[in-house]
Amino acid sequence: MLEDYLHILIFLAVAILIGFAPRVLGMLLGPRRPDPEKDAPYECGFDAFESARMKFDVRYYLVAILFILFDLEIAFLFPWAVVLEELGTAGLLSMSVFLGILVVGFIYEWRKGALDWE
Amino acid sequence: MGFEKFLFYVFAAITVVAAGMVVTRRNPVHAVLFLVLAFVSSAALWLLLEAEFLGIVLVLVYVGAVMVLFLFVVMMLDIDIAALRGQFIRYLPIGLLIALVMVVNLFLVLGPSNFGLELFAKPEAQPADYSNTVELGLQLYTTYLYPFEIAAVILLVAIVAAIRLTLRRRPETKYQDASKQVRVKKGPDRIRLVSMPALKEKSK
Repeated sequence: MLEDYLHILIFLAVAILIGFAPRVLGMLLGPRRPDPEKDAPYECGFDAFESARMKFDVRYYLVAILFILFDLEIAFLFPWAVVLEELGTAGLLSMSVFLGILVVGFIYEWRKGALDWE
Repeated sequence: MGFEKFLFYVFAAITVVAAGMVVTRRNPVHAVLFLVLAFVSSAALWLLLEAEFLGIVLVLVYVGAVMVLFLFVVMMLDIDIAALRGQFIRYLPIGLLIALVMVVNLFLVLGPSNFGLELFAKPEAQPADYSNTVELGLQLYTTYLYPFEIAAVILLVAIVAAIRLTLRRRPETKYQDASKQVRVKKGPDRIRLVSMPALKEKSK
């Protein structure tokens, strides 16, 4: 059973190697003579205005949280789809109620204009 | 079995180290990225337990969505790290005390007296065609149907709450509404005809 995941483990190892190898090679082979000017953030020739960690507009948060909620909804659909034949009509009804409740939320966010990006 | 055990220790070590980094990094964005690493290695641990569905959902939901949300929150909060560091020494004794109490608590609850290896028999190995996802689905949509529907209601509440808290109209932004543009009639929508008596231009 777990042997089936060996590919993924090998893939992980290769990915980590590819991620680390260029940096390690660069550190070993390249010349490193840092000075304050070189370490400063580059902003098209002039001095940097401010820290890059600036405040975000709250609307990005709204998009992210709406995505999570429907992401969770999808996560509930997977095991249901696998066992739908065993569950029969009762399973179909239970998922219909689940989706129905969430469709209420979907209609709400649509009507409120939460999906529009002005 | 030996290789599996080795993998378990590798991923467990990554999880613990990453979790330690989460609470010790000064930069909150780095802390969130280490939390992502902790989640990914816990997903690997769950895969080792043959709980594939849970492992994949952990990556899909937590790494894919919740961590993005955390990053947004961290960036929105705009935490002043220097100010936080100034208070660190002052609150260190009480922080250590609370941490100690919590560690003792955790040990008493999760320690060997309750969760020792000798208390639980090794679960029987499942046949090759055994599917964790099928078992989960059969339980979730029959035995735990009511909590499942409650989950839908909680998600609905979260949708409404998020929209109420964060959505606001911005009258100052200018944008085109294509549906309104299409619906414009030829006559009164474009030109407004005003009837008024004839005026004679005044002499200068």
